[in-house]
Amino acid sequence: MKKLSFLAAAIFAVAAFISFNNVSAKEGLAIGATMENFKLTDTSGTEKSFNDLKGKNGAILVFLSVQCPVVKGYNERIVKLAEDYAAKGINVIGINSNSTETMEKVKAHAAENYKFPVLIDKGNVIADRLGANVTPETFYLNAKNVLVYRGAIDNNKSSDSVTNKFLRDAADADLSGKTVAKTSAVAFGCSIKRVTE
Amino acid sequence: MIVSPQNYGNFLATNKHERTRKRTKKLFVSFRVCSWLNLLRVSVVSFCLVFVPAENSFAQTRKGKTKAAAKKIKAAPKNVASNLPKVTQIDATGLQNLLKPNGKPLLINFWATWCDPCREEFPDLVKIGADYKDRIDLITVSLDELSEINGDVPKFLAAMKADKMPAYLLKTPNEEEAIAAVSKDWQGGLPFTILYNANGDTIYIKQGKFKTDFLRAEIEKTLANQIRFQIFQLPMSICRPVTLTRKKSL
Repeated sequence: MKKLSFLAAAIFAVAAFISFNNVSAKEGLAIGATMENFKLTDTSGTEKSFNDLKGKNGAILVFLSVQCPVVKGYNERIVKLAEDYAAKGINVIGINSNSTETMEKVKAHAAENYKFPVLIDKGNVIADRLGANVTPETFYLNAKNVLVYRGAIDNNKSSDSVTNKFLRDAADADLSGKTVAKTSAVAFGCSIKRVTE
Repeated sequence: MIVSPQNYGNFLATNKHERTRKRTKKLFVSFRVCSWLNLLRVSVVSFCLVFVPAENSFAQTRKGKTKAAAKKIKAAPKNVASNLPKVTQIDATGLQNLLKPNGKPLLINFWATWCDPCREEFPDLVKIGADYKDRIDLITVSLDELSEINGDVPKFLAAMKADKMPAYLLKTPNEEEAIAAVSKDWQGGLPFTILYNANGDTIYIKQGKFKTDFLRAEIEKTLANQIRFQIFQLPMSICRPVTLTRKKSL
């Protein structure tokens, strides 16, 4: 009887394991790992190098979308973030990896909303390398291109409900030489539409 | 019977033979009974595996549990004032309570009216809800603004004819906590679909649009595993040795 129970449990566990293999999570670059330099074209069609665009203290990569209402809700905060951190030697760089959004739309959206460069990640190469999944999602890389923080800008898509500014806290701690308490965070956003989907 | 000393030897031999014969007969009868029991058990299992169709979920026979499940997850009530589907506001704690299955597999879809792929996959979700009615619990959780709880959210649900599935709107000050409660593999992107089996184990998750065929296959597998698991347990409980206890006299 025990043998039968064991057999049943084993079959069930194997079936559950096989099924659970459908679960896919894009890991990407780990915290503490170094991002290699990369080149992408900006909205004017000019190829830009990450190392040329980053500030003396690093860069914040923000994955954006033209259509995503969450990005729209964050735009004001992203613009303020870019202004505040440019003064601290950290440049904000926008990346659009959505295969469904045309160059014209991305260009018009960037011109309307941002003063920082927005790069087109054709084939979601950089999104895959970093493991970006949603918009808006950020990656803070320090002066040595080491990933210090990844994830949400703050803890709520509604600006009036924000209580934790994860990205700012991480960048400020790193700039002042302190240990970054929270190196990643998730928040609701729009899934990046990859070419493979 | 009188046994003389002369035929005592024969008597002993005959008696011994008789006892051996009786013992063998007893053993044979026990063996026959065991064989019949085993045969019955194998037949029940085989019959159930072959002939019990997926839609007659074994869980349904467990009336107590099914009734309890039905009590907890009912068909979505209507918003009386507007005749639109009712959308219930929940916080992170409410969400955690929703994540517990009630004797049936549980499919949860997180969506928002502003999310294009969410809207695109919704008709398929409604169809799945109708096709697996009573066999799985299907609920939707909207991430729209609270101001839309009586506006765009129920309007969209009505347009999708999704008034049969319980609908919720999540409003939490800590999105990260809510996301982590659902799955450690969820990065917060919408749409997000998760399937739990009746035991609460995660069977399938998808951030982004789900593939209908794939999701249906996962549901079928989950239901089949559930039936098999219960059938395996059934004969064991039938054939468990019964301990007879003498009635205590009052």
